[in-house]
Amino acid sequence: MKFTINAALALALSALISAPVVAHGFTKPQHGGIVTTSGETLFELVAKPAGTQLYVIDDDEPVAASGMAATLSTQVGGGVKTIPLKPAAGNRFDGPALKLKPGAKVAVMVIDKASKARLGGTFVIK
Amino acid sequence: MPSLKSILIAGLLTGLSCEAASAHAVWFAQRSRQTALIYGVGADDLDAVKRFSFIEKMTGYDADYQPMPATPRIAGPIVLVDTDQQPTLLSVVFFNGVWSRVDGEFVKGGRDEHPDATLAEKNYKYSVSIQGPLSKPIPALADQVLQIVPAGPIPEQHGANLTYRVLYKGKPVAGAKVINDLINDPDQKPQTSSADGTVTFPVRNQGLNVIQAVYNGPTDDAKKYDHIESTATLSFTLAHEPE
Repeated sequence: MKFTINAALALALSALISAPVVAHGFTKPQHGGIVTTSGETLFELVAKPAGTQLYVIDDDEPVAASGMAATLSTQVGGGVKTIPLKPAAGNRFDGPALKLKPGAKVAVMVIDKASKARLGGTFVIK
Repeated sequence: MPSLKSILIAGLLTGLSCEAASAHAVWFAQRSRQTALIYGVGADDLDAVKRFSFIEKMTGYDADYQPMPATPRIAGPIVLVDTDQQPTLLSVVFFNGVWSRVDGEFVKGGRDEHPDATLAEKNYKYSVSIQGPLSKPIPALADQVLQIVPAGPIPEQHGANLTYRVLYKGKPVAGAKVINDLINDPDQKPQTSSADGTVTFPVRNQGLNVIQAVYNGPTDDAKKYDHIESTATLSFTLAHEPE
């Protein structure tokens, strides 16, 4: 019986230990858009009539857009068009309005100007 | 009944095939969130920086498989890949030199330098990495002399079968030695690609999968090496469940 209790305790501890390791935080949109994740980086794409917005969160921390260069690439009219996005307030990047049909793929990349580190992901429009 | 000579030749060829299939390779993988070029085999992530000059060409491809610049960059002890856009594919051509087997050991240099070598070969390594969702089948890429392409959609879950086609100079090739998991099972017995260049494996990992093919093509300088060994990898990732 002692063994059973010890085993149960070990299992419980094991569950406690593993839980925080796999938790990455934000996985849901914060601005009404759609999200895609890559590792612990969350990209949110918000399509508005006036323009397209990209928000980037990395390890639950907003990524300061001011220090980054960002691009968005998508298939338009039979070819892939790449559009530079402008750093905006906080962790937001702004681009022109896009008409995205279901099935369209939108690839985004943000590059830290100082470290050259890259964060990338691809949205599939549903 | 097979003759002793044919048994010996078959045994020798089997030995050569197995050796070739276990050769080092290059592939792309994430390191600290960045895309890196790895040189190694199994869990051995070897010194790619020392071999930086072996990288002959690196290319990114967009969703339409149009090329985009991709630049290798030394970052401390590893080689990272810089692109200005998120690529759908990355590829590399890596020249690993000419090697000869002398007294059972591989040494650098060709038969011209090692006239007593029992084997001399020129080594090229190729790799294609799928970095984003595919809109259409991957084509033969011009600089990939040996290339593995998925012959159907990549499943979402590991365990499902996936057929691959091995291309040599853009055409399906029979006789390539293919293994399913260069990282976690590098010593597995290779399958041989069939007449249409295909092999089928269950997708092994809900994570990074690196498939490897090895094929020996004819020499272009018989005085220096007996054949040109091409090693190709195809890497892709199956997403894990949301956390």
